[in-house]
Amino acid sequence: MTAEAAPSTAYDDVPYSRGGAAVDRTDAGALVQAAADGDAAAWKALVEGLSPLVWSVVRAHRLSDADAHEVYQTAWFRFAQHLGRIREPGKAGAWLASTARHECLKVIRSAQRLTLTDDPRMLDRVSEDGTPEQSLLDSEEAAAQSERVRRLWQEFEELGERCRQLLRVLMATPPPSYHDVSAALGIAVGSIGPLRQRCLRRLRARLEARGAM
Amino acid sequence: MNGMHGMDDDDLFGEGDFDDREFDDDLLEEELRRAAAVLDPVPAVLQQIAVDAYALHDLDTRVAELTFDSLVDALPVRGVADVPRMLTFRAGGVTVDVEVTERGLMGQVLPPQPARIEVLGGPRPGFPLTADDLGRFTTDVPLSGPFALRLRTGGDVVVTEWLRA
Repeated sequence: MTAEAAPSTAYDDVPYSRGGAAVDRTDAGALVQAAADGDAAAWKALVEGLSPLVWSVVRAHRLSDADAHEVYQTAWFRFAQHLGRIREPGKAGAWLASTARHECLKVIRSAQRLTLTDDPRMLDRVSEDGTPEQSLLDSEEAAAQSERVRRLWQEFEELGERCRQLLRVLMATPPPSYHDVSAALGIAVGSIGPLRQRCLRRLRARLEARGAM
Repeated sequence: MNGMHGMDDDDLFGEGDFDDREFDDDLLEEELRRAAAVLDPVPAVLQQIAVDAYALHDLDTRVAELTFDSLVDALPVRGVADVPRMLTFRAGGVTVDVEVTERGLMGQVLPPQPARIEVLGGPRPGFPLTADDLGRFTTDVPLSGPFALRLRTGGDVVVTEWLRA
């Protein structure tokens, strides 16, 4: 209200966290405005802050890698195109999440029409190519931790579709707000908390049953 | 301060169980977040494309919004393999009808008028097309991935909303 906009250097620390949504929206709004005004660093900060959310939405819908890449790009291209025209710049995360979701649904719909034989579940396996983080995990001292992460991921993948979808979006970095999650999955904000709780506890129970907790 | 503290402690003890489970949920979610960052991160190439997409922002062009998409707005056609995707974009008084098939695309600018068209596939320059006097255009280059059409008609520049072909 009375506070002036922060100096435009603090892009690194964009708190799109779940708490303090009002602050987050102000920040997202300021970045969108700055980017629309020609500030490339603000755009980069938006990409870095919201990319994992967009990717999570795409992954939650179990598209093939090729389709996932295209939907991710489409969402960002459209966002760039609409910069400066977005009605609520503070809700940039929800805008991107919702755009990605709709494109995902179109991909699924067109695949159903063509009755493709490609099973998205088969195509959606985690890539075997090691990321740098993966190599680090594979080092000897981290082997046990790595095994735990693998088990966690495996149990997560085998959850029911609703839970798998919700958790895949929730686990974006930084944690998305419930508004963003709602836009990403087309479910009511109020149902997210209870569903999240049920899904996390179901996952924990599976891990415990495997002796992995 | 001290008096307040005492009251808070009572409340905390009363809700201890509840808080523990909430805390466990948060921990597990955090663990999933770390797992996702390792096992399924945003591919670096892809994130760079999003950074480069800044070049697509252009406040001087008008965006023609998608008003019809046969994938969403039409009933499925059964038993036909290559059903064209019908799209309609609209910006002010200009309408662009586009038909996308596996063999390419054709379309028409309405009201009918000549136009120079660029088929965009990303932040790079696209390939050119020309709409004839009736506004018709066609190409047999198949589209793949995200695309948009940039149209110049008279002094006007219109770009269709980005879509995945």
